[in-house]
Amino acid sequence: MVQAIGIVANPASGKDVRRLVARASVFDNQEKCAIVRRVIVGASGAGATRFVYAPDTHHIVANAFAEFDTTAEEVDAPRTGSALDTTEAAIALRRTGCAVVITLGGDGTNRAFVKGWGDAPLLPISTGTNNVFPRLVEATVAGAAAGVIALGTVGLGECATRAKIIRVAIDGEADDLALIDAVLTRERFVGAKALLEADALVLALLTRADPAAVGMTSIGGLIKPTAASSREGLLVELGTGGRALRAPIAPGLYRTVAVTGARRIAPGQPVEVRGPGVLAFDGERERVLKNGQRAWLTLATDGPWVVDVPTTMQLAACRGAFLEGATDAD
Amino acid sequence: MSAVASETKTRQLPYVVAITEGVREVLKEQANAFVAGEDVAGAGSVYGYYRGLLDEFGADRIYDTPISEKGIIGLGVGAAAAGLRPVLDIMFMDFIGECMDEIANQMAKMRFMFGGSATLPITVLTMAGAGANLAAQHSQSLEAWLAHLPGLKVVMPATPYDAKGLIIAAARDDNPVFVVLNKMSLAMMGDVPEGPYEVPIGKANVVRTGKNYTIVTLGRMLGQALDAAKQLAELGIDAEVIDARSVQPFDTEAVIKSVEKTHRAMVVHEAVRFGGFGAEIAAQIQEHAFDYLDAPVARVGAPFSPVPFSPALEKVYVPNAERIVVVAREQLGI
Amino acid sequence: MARIHKTVTGDGFLAKQPTNKTLLDIHRRMVRIRHFEERAGKLMEDGKIPGALHLYVGQEAVAAGVMVHLTAEDQITSTHRGHGHLIAKGGDFDRMYAELFGRSTGYCKGKGGSMHISNMDLGMLGANGIVGGGPPIAMGAAFANKFRKSKHVAVAFFGDGASNEGSFHEAANMASLYKLPAIFVCENNGYGEYTAQANHQAVVDVADRAAGYGMPGVIVDGMDAVAVYEAAGEAIARARKGQGPTLLECKTYRFYDHVGVRGMGLNYRTDDEVKKWMKRDPIKLFEARLAEQKVLSKKQAEAVHAEVLAEIEAAVAFAEQSPMPDVASLLDDVYSTAG
Repeated sequence: MVQAIGIVANPASGKDVRRLVARASVFDNQEKCAIVRRVIVGASGAGATRFVYAPDTHHIVANAFAEFDTTAEEVDAPRTGSALDTTEAAIALRRTGCAVVITLGGDGTNRAFVKGWGDAPLLPISTGTNNVFPRLVEATVAGAAAGVIALGTVGLGECATRAKIIRVAIDGEADDLALIDAVLTRERFVGAKALLEADALVLALLTRADPAAVGMTSIGGLIKPTAASSREGLLVELGTGGRALRAPIAPGLYRTVAVTGARRIAPGQPVEVRGPGVLAFDGERERVLKNGQRAWLTLATDGPWVVDVPTTMQLAACRGAFLEGATDAD
Repeated sequence: MSAVASETKTRQLPYVVAITEGVREVLKEQANAFVAGEDVAGAGSVYGYYRGLLDEFGADRIYDTPISEKGIIGLGVGAAAAGLRPVLDIMFMDFIGECMDEIANQMAKMRFMFGGSATLPITVLTMAGAGANLAAQHSQSLEAWLAHLPGLKVVMPATPYDAKGLIIAAARDDNPVFVVLNKMSLAMMGDVPEGPYEVPIGKANVVRTGKNYTIVTLGRMLGQALDAAKQLAELGIDAEVIDARSVQPFDTEAVIKSVEKTHRAMVVHEAVRFGGFGAEIAAQIQEHAFDYLDAPVARVGAPFSPVPFSPALEKVYVPNAERIVVVAREQLGI
Repeated sequence: MARIHKTVTGDGFLAKQPTNKTLLDIHRRMVRIRHFEERAGKLMEDGKIPGALHLYVGQEAVAAGVMVHLTAEDQITSTHRGHGHLIAKGGDFDRMYAELFGRSTGYCKGKGGSMHISNMDLGMLGANGIVGGGPPIAMGAAFANKFRKSKHVAVAFFGDGASNEGSFHEAANMASLYKLPAIFVCENNGYGEYTAQANHQAVVDVADRAAGYGMPGVIVDGMDAVAVYEAAGEAIARARKGQGPTLLECKTYRFYDHVGVRGMGLNYRTDDEVKKWMKRDPIKLFEARLAEQKVLSKKQAEAVHAEVLAEIEAAVAFAEQSPMPDVASLLDDVYSTAG
């Protein structure tokens, strides 16, 4: 049976203050709508027929479908214009039992989604500012990959891997999580969210340390690269007396940070941090820690499934999925 | 009337060059002055009257703008409020529709609305006038629109001398002043002194003295009125021709003085006659000199129609000396 | 829980962060706006203030978060909802209330009123009765700053509704073309007068429009004073460095009606929606954060409110006791022929 493809597009991605400080470009929602249209074309081309999507304040997905005869079901989720929408959308999409979810956003969007659906099968398309977790992928092909997964031609176990995440427990408050990095910074406010004060960084726990990426992950990556596929993460400590390192802490923004140490860290080992300060996740200040308030950052390997588009397409091609007469796999 | 130093050399120059000289004097005299408008810098304006100023004063003093009339006037209002003395160019007067809010609601009212705390020394040069086959949207004379707005001054130079002198006076004035130029006058030759001089705003110019008829003209109609006066002289009418020079403020006193002497008056302008500024002049005359009048005040202006394109139509549309004579003869019964 | 790997404590804050002094300054500006407006609204509904008032209540974080970066030499243009901008720019209550009452002691000698309240000495180039009237003027002021080679900036405040006016687009294009020190601050409160944003523009984010003019567009939570402060700080610093204009969109909400407090009873938004936004009252949010950070206790906050309220009482009394303008002044302050 053909399963549904979930789509969620974050209208707020790619518009924050990093336009100014990090010379990031504005990701306007007309372009996001166009991306969703290409996804629909790709998925339909691969034979997909069922779509479910989350509502968004800007009607990005609804407007994309308006151009096609293809019907799509909108799940019941709020439209508050906050990150909560994406988290609630994840919960609602999970209930539909869709085979794969295409997310349009950056690291922040996917993080919000995973908060609602921890082991979601994700095919993330980058339309954000910091895009370490989502891939730069042509939307038509991404749609086709999602299509062959929805048809059952390619199984999730064959084409996707489970991402590492960081689970965050905060004393007396709700839990949180991060997909790429969890950072303690000596700031006081969430404010405009973007993490840009290099001098304020205290500690960063990274699920991956990628020297070919931007953001906090680059700090670790330029010292001790740690792959996404590795079981371990990297703990980087920063502060006075540390070794100076030039790193792109955001797109378009190189800063000198002082690194006092970097070591690999295994899953399940909590790192305790204590306020005052602000915890930032995936490049954005999110949670204020009061004076003396504790929090624990723990690497875990049971994060969402992340679809690898080239692998998916190769498998599908080998199985003749796109040849005339081919239907779904048996 | 205007103080021209006796040793100053006077040349015969075309109206278009007189404009250039006026703007040049402004830029020389006022360090806070700059020119902004469409095609003014690189091209020197479509009629060429800023030609050479970019080379002379540099790109910090003369700016090509986008085709954005709201932006041009807004630029001037904000810059003037912040202490500069902008010289703005609205290529054709017809385009003021594009920026009427910035003119009527911002520029004209700001000083008053703010209790006098803002001064807006803005000069706007704009090109009016029919006769060049430019049709309905590039030929209008819309001075009445502006004259109806408290807060603006509006001058209409009829000669090269006045063009230079009124531009200088406008730029020295702390009010927004529109200098309404006429495209059919650009080649007109006239005496223009070297160096700076001012034609005072609000003072009419009695160009021809006469005993028994007063013709009040706006802008380019001065020349037509002078021609008409010659023809009327042959009919025994000795016309006094007064160039209003400025419609806002309007020199009512000069006109009344003349009418008290001549007892008969005509108003001539290129704009549509109905509701034109001539109606205001006629009203002023009857209010202030009713007892002196021996005939109703006559008005000559364009018919109540947009400016036509075809030369055959435009020729009959624009008022001229012949029409002035015809109307005068009707008015006077001669 | 497994063995603790490492404990790290954040200690001390950076100078680059808003200092306590700045935070308290922002707070006071917001409180001043709130109480001024609450009182003005009552005075209008009691028939004591003539004409129409457009109250800024709900949007205080925007004016305060931007204006704390500016000096009197930096200019702003405002909107019909302009009291908040003037207060945040340093406006004096006496002269403001006097203006709203139409008295000769008002900032505009009673000739402008609420919709044209201004003060050139504070660089406040006017509230504006014309939607979209401000951006071209701010662009012109920014031009003057650049012409003089000063480091001053000009900020245009305008709404989502004004972003549909041609004047905004012409000003944005020219500001970017000339790389002017201008900041376009869109206070997107979701309504152009009584029409919801979805019914007046096809885009939801006004910031998207920045791309069309080659300038950065940024969205920030307009109910969060620190978020506005940070983003405005970056945009203003960028402008002062000669890097050109920014479009900063602050998502905000007006708690009261388009005009007055209760307004005209037009059925254009739901009480639920209003209540939902009021839960994110920018002053309450900010005070909670300041208390959390021990910058301002509840008691200290109350004292600020009390001080401001006392100042307001005195200012209202001053305004009420001030003389009406002399009729002879009607023709002053304008070029006039008095024909």
